[in-house]
Amino acid sequence: MQSLKAGHLDASRWERRLQKELMSLMKEPPPGVEVDGDQAEQNLSLWTVHMKGAEGTLYEGESFQLQFKFSPKYPFDSPEVTFIGSNIPVHPHVYSNGHICLSILTDDWSPALSVQSVCLSIVSMLSSCKEKKRPPDNSFYVKTCNKNPKKTKWWYHDDSV
Amino acid sequence: MASILEIIFELINNMLQFFRLGKKSISNSLNIYIKSNTGSTLSIELDPKWDIKNVKEVIAPKLGLPPNEVKIIFAGKELDDSITIEECDLGEQSILHAVQSRSQSKRSRPLSESVANLQLSNISENDDSSSTIEEQLESSEEKGIKNTHFYVYCSQPCKSVRVGKLRVRCANCHSGALTVDSDPSCWDDVLKSNRITAHCEETRCETGPVSFAEFFFKCAEHTSQGEKDEAVPLYLIRPNISHVPCLACTDISDPVLVFSCEERHVTCLDCFRQYCVTRLRERQFVSDDRLGYTLPCPAGCENSLIEECHHFRLLTSEQYQMYQRFGAEEYVLKAGGVLCPQPGCGAGIIIDTDCKRVQCVGGCGVRSH
Ligand SMILES: [Zn+2]
Ligand SMILES: [Zn+2]
Ligand SMILES: [Zn+2]
Ligand SMILES: [Zn+2]
Repeated sequence: MQSLKAGHLDASRWERRLQKELMSLMKEPPPGVEVDGDQAEQNLSLWTVHMKGAEGTLYEGESFQLQFKFSPKYPFDSPEVTFIGSNIPVHPHVYSNGHICLSILTDDWSPALSVQSVCLSIVSMLSSCKEKKRPPDNSFYVKTCNKNPKKTKWWYHDDSV
Repeated sequence: MASILEIIFELINNMLQFFRLGKKSISNSLNIYIKSNTGSTLSIELDPKWDIKNVKEVIAPKLGLPPNEVKIIFAGKELDDSITIEECDLGEQSILHAVQSRSQSKRSRPLSESVANLQLSNISENDDSSSTIEEQLESSEEKGIKNTHFYVYCSQPCKSVRVGKLRVRCANCHSGALTVDSDPSCWDDVLKSNRITAHCEETRCETGPVSFAEFFFKCAEHTSQGEKDEAVPLYLIRPNISHVPCLACTDISDPVLVFSCEERHVTCLDCFRQYCVTRLRERQFVSDDRLGYTLPCPAGCENSLIEECHHFRLLTSEQYQMYQRFGAEEYVLKAGGVLCPQPGCGAGIIIDTDCKRVQCVGGCGVRSH
């Protein structure tokens, strides 16, 4: 039986959770999603996820890279998720610097979510897009925003887009 | 004449009893108080191996009653003759109630055994479960769960989170000489008043014999210090009977903390501490007018604020001090006060509108104008 006493706070608790998530993501990745396992194993707090635009969507044939940054407060604190690399998807919720306006990455984050559920949300966000364009405030935002997208007080765009 | 006869009768009885006690070797005796509904209290040594019939034979003469007219009540139940003391979950210096039987009520198992089902994680606030207590008990027996527990915060003398015991008394006269008409079937039955009717045997009880049961908890880990010795139930901590993984680390632990949200989200106790500390450092606790300084389910569910703030006693003592300090500061700020400007003091100042000078009360004593 687990002790009732507050012992040492297991410093690697968040790492154990990430280790488990990494294993399951490598074993059973969602379609079009692939995690760079070697990189993640070397540094559990920084992952790169490769994502393919789903067939039959505006992003078919394109590929993207997502970066996940985790803090020791994970999973009580959301990961910092941005698109990186040369191809940032052109989408009404994705800024040209890679920042994503998605409520589960800040306000609606829950420790019950995971890297996998974030990937699935982003896939479905891209798949439901009807017109490839940048957010209306893109140029202003990119010039003025904090490097960390979690510092942005997002005014969430209409989720039906 | 009659009184002399009575004295002789009692002498003989006592001798017989002594003889009987002498023959029974008491291996590891338990010191128990017997309280009668006429107001007298006896202190006796019992062998845990004895059954209730033996107990009646020992105490009946002391109460001046024939053994077959005595009923023994413990934790809301009249105990059956065949139950042994050790089955009753009695601690040293517990109180058994002996009353003269006026009517034959249904004898049964002690309460602590019969409400083991309260531990099941699927207990909902409005108890929509259709299975009976017996069914649930059987299923918990099948799963090999013998001693399911309640958890409490014991402020004296343990000052810590402990395993607890459920007990019951009359809501009107507070006597323990009470038999419940039904077992509590959900936490609301236990925590809210006037939900379970009971039969009070206390002769001086004004509403008796029909009354309501009032449930309370005792710490199971220190010797009972009398009837006022109670502990705060930490009802969100529950045995993990259905092996639900922790929301945060996904390990399956036991016991766990079950939040009051509709989804019944579960965290292990270590992750709960980590959650609290993370939110505490970022000052993200909720300052609720009714509940105090508290937190919701980590998944952010609606209606999930922790209502019993003693659950934060799961934190280490330094963490708990931080919780208390931040909570007090939040209170001062909400009340329109300011915090003492001396670094590290943090004591609250509520500015007196008539006087320009302010003084830090109870903190470092620094004065400013
Ligand atoms: Zn105690
Ligand atoms: Zn009463
Ligand atoms: Zn956990
Ligand atoms: Zn919840």
